[in-house]
Amino acid sequence: MDINFRKIDIDVYDEDAIHESEIYEADPRDPGQVLNEAKQKQSGVRALLARNDVAGALKTVLEGAPFGPGADEAKSITLQTLLTILNSTKSTDISGAIKQLTQDDHDTLMKYLYKGMAMPGWGDISGSVLLGWHEKLTEIAGTGCIVRTMTDRRIV
Amino acid sequence: MSNVLRPYLAAVRSTLTAALTLENFSSQVVERHNKPEVETRGSKEVLLNPLTISRNENERVLIEPSVNSIRLSIKIKQADEIERILCHQFTRFMMQRAESFIVLRRKPVSGYDISFLITNTHTETMLKHKIVDFIIQFMEEVDKEISEMKLSLNARARIVAESYLTAVSSGF
Repeated sequence: MDINFRKIDIDVYDEDAIHESEIYEADPRDPGQVLNEAKQKQSGVRALLARNDVAGALKTVLEGAPFGPGADEAKSITLQTLLTILNSTKSTDISGAIKQLTQDDHDTLMKYLYKGMAMPGWGDISGSVLLGWHEKLTEIAGTGCIVRTMTDRRIV
Repeated sequence: MSNVLRPYLAAVRSTLTAALTLENFSSQVVERHNKPEVETRGSKEVLLNPLTISRNENERVLIEPSVNSIRLSIKIKQADEIERILCHQFTRFMMQRAESFIVLRRKPVSGYDISFLITNTHTETMLKHKIVDFIIQFMEEVDKEISEMKLSLNARARIVAESYLTAVSSGF
């Protein structure tokens, strides 16, 4: 007798079943527009870094960061841009730069730090740099920042 | 604690502290059942985003939080074949005695060497900061333990080879 029908997940057909789209609000922007914005930010950040404005550069990247499915290219460009900032900042300047950011920026930065640590060896990710930033950010923004990273469904 | 390991363990400590906010939560599917949601993966809304903390490709920790349980998996540093064997035997030894460690999982998550499963019952019956301390202490000790075992294994091999070869040379 065929018993494979027992393996069918019938709970997804329940009318109360939760779907991905109900967990968070989708990005209202069009994927192409997000990609363009990410590219513009990349060049904007280079100019800001040349003037040694780390906090300004971080703000530019973290505001309106891409999230949700369908924006993979924009996400990797944003991560790449953020990594150039993180790697080029001196460890003594980190705390000062983080203090100038808003709470939303802290949360987005934390998401990117975990994203970077989840893919070691990708691009120019260095574990010790990310861990250094993580430590400083936790000192300033607290454990709540990590909790918001875990609970926010808008995955960067 | 060595200075290079400190930021890594600090990151694990703060992430684990943040993740250990668990509450009693009954199954949404089966009445009067209460299972760790991170293992059953029954519905999306009770699972939170998994977080990875890594020093490099060979040393990382995966923390998978959910509403009533978290799963923490560790990949232990293994530089060569001897360390790989020692690590396998060491973790196997402990996982066979998992019930005496209470929070230890019997099988590691794929891609990792050892896993812990902490449920709301554990956080209710034990002190939360002590659980965090236990995990951090385990991570500190396991590297030390394996490198010590490797040293004593090499020393023993040297003595065995020496005494064996003395017997051979005295035969002539």
